[in-house]
Amino acid sequence: MLDVTIQKRFGGFHLDVAFAAEHELVVLFGPSGSGKSLTLQAIAGTLRPEAGRIIIDGQTVYDSEKHIDLPPQVRRVGYVPQHYALFPHLTTSENIGFGLKGIPRDERNRRVAELVEVFALRGLEHRRPRELSGGQQQRVALARALAVQPRVLLLDEPFAALDVLLRGVLRQELAQVQKRWGITMLLVTHDLADVFTLGQHVVVYDKGRVIQQGTREEVFFHPATLRVAELVGTRNILPAVVAQVEEHTLWLSWQGHRIAAPPRPFARGSPVYLCIRPTQIMIVRPDRLAERKRENLLWCTIVGKQIQTETYTLHLRVDHSGNAYDLELTLPAYVYHRLSLERQERLLVELRRQDLHIIPRDIHTEPGSAEQ
Amino acid sequence: MSWHPVVLSIQVTVVASLLIVVVGLPLALFLARVRFPGQTILESVINLPLVLPPSVIGYYLLLALGRGSLLVEWFGIQVLFTWRAAAIASAVVGLPLMVIAAKAAIAGVDPALERVARTLGSSELGVFWRVTLPLARRGILAGFTLGSARALGEFGATLMVAGSIPGRTQTLPLAIYDAVQAREYALANLMVLLMTVLSFLALWGVRRLEHPL
Repeated sequence: MLDVTIQKRFGGFHLDVAFAAEHELVVLFGPSGSGKSLTLQAIAGTLRPEAGRIIIDGQTVYDSEKHIDLPPQVRRVGYVPQHYALFPHLTTSENIGFGLKGIPRDERNRRVAELVEVFALRGLEHRRPRELSGGQQQRVALARALAVQPRVLLLDEPFAALDVLLRGVLRQELAQVQKRWGITMLLVTHDLADVFTLGQHVVVYDKGRVIQQGTREEVFFHPATLRVAELVGTRNILPAVVAQVEEHTLWLSWQGHRIAAPPRPFARGSPVYLCIRPTQIMIVRPDRLAERKRENLLWCTIVGKQIQTETYTLHLRVDHSGNAYDLELTLPAYVYHRLSLERQERLLVELRRQDLHIIPRDIHTEPGSAEQ
Repeated sequence: MSWHPVVLSIQVTVVASLLIVVVGLPLALFLARVRFPGQTILESVINLPLVLPPSVIGYYLLLALGRGSLLVEWFGIQVLFTWRAAAIASAVVGLPLMVIAAKAAIAGVDPALERVARTLGSSELGVFWRVTLPLARRGILAGFTLGSARALGEFGATLMVAGSIPGRTQTLPLAIYDAVQAREYALANLMVLLMTVLSFLALWGVRRLEHPL
């Protein structure tokens, strides 16, 4: 359990964040320089906030009002900074045993040996950090942090230093470590893949603020603002206007089309963004149009195609649109070929209302896009 | 040749070196890790002995150690014209070399390492002893060696605060001056050779520390 409220100024930068998490794996996600690493340091106790409160497993380790500020030595927080910060002058064993100084030698050796075993570091006990691979270094850093039996593990960009292939493997390793130790992990990253693979609870940072937090699904599929949508890589963000409000339907006007969306508390005339994920746009075969009731049907022209390993992404221009393209549609490669899309230029698609996500649009701050 | 200047020089240099470590190391740590207003001014003051004429340093030391100074008036400690004054003068001129090198070495230690050590339960002293010092060792040793070598060769300020009293405050550099004045060139040659060898060894040692083979 983690409950964090922190305020601190650094020159022109103002860190002002609050989040709480019951989950085992919490991800702080946001662009570089948004205050994520500073938050970790404040929790670890190596950076003093100006105001706020930090509670770890029910124990208040910092509270500006009650004048509580426990030093990092007694917070029992495992801290793995960016690039791991292994002690370069110490061997693997010495690194892992660094925090076990107070306990008898036999007991210490036993615990180090145990961690060496668990983290598959046997044979590397007497190597220095620079003689270890990136993945081995990460395991030593985890073992060193876990040796002192912390209540929470703080990981700052744990995969940044690794190549893409290794990242996937180590993400799985980290998830296993979390399960084995049953420890709360707080992980800082600006990599969307980390968020998606590891984040049970996601806290989105931007410019020193928390701009959204919730489950991975909430943040990815229901971004609260345009900024969150951009940060989580939402592809189809369409500026629209609320045309009509009915009890069961919010009618939107977009590119001269009427789109039926699920009811949301927007007034008529409100500018909004209509979002739909590229994998949720349905392709409708005109000969099967009558099979069931359909809505939000749009005729499009295929104007571009991106080929990924297993999926194709089509760029679609909706009829009567003045844009280069309006929608991205992603589908498995085999579906693309089964529908013989390589021989087609026109496509009928359906935007199912349950797949539509609507976020408010501030016409004063948006970058130059005209109202539709 | 009397061995006294050699023995005295060693005595003065050892005490000056101790002073350089005791004052210089905490100072270097402080300057490397704490940002505060007036930092540049303090660093410039510490480095002044590198550029000031020895007579000016000697004059300041006379003010600091002589009659009317805190040391004499409050504690009644008289050090002027004793070997202790020579040790202090040597320490003052050697200190900046230690502080510059040690500060750079300590600043070069990744603060993240120290942060991790703290979260692993290490006290501030433990962090310094187990992380900062071992990693900054080379730079600190290099600075210490340079500072000590400079202390060993101190001449001008020492002359002003300790005099050149044969058998009491006459260190090797001062004895060389006296020998040349007295045209005892054989003695001067011997002592010059000794100084040159010692200084060379110190510089060679520093090179080895900075660029280990």
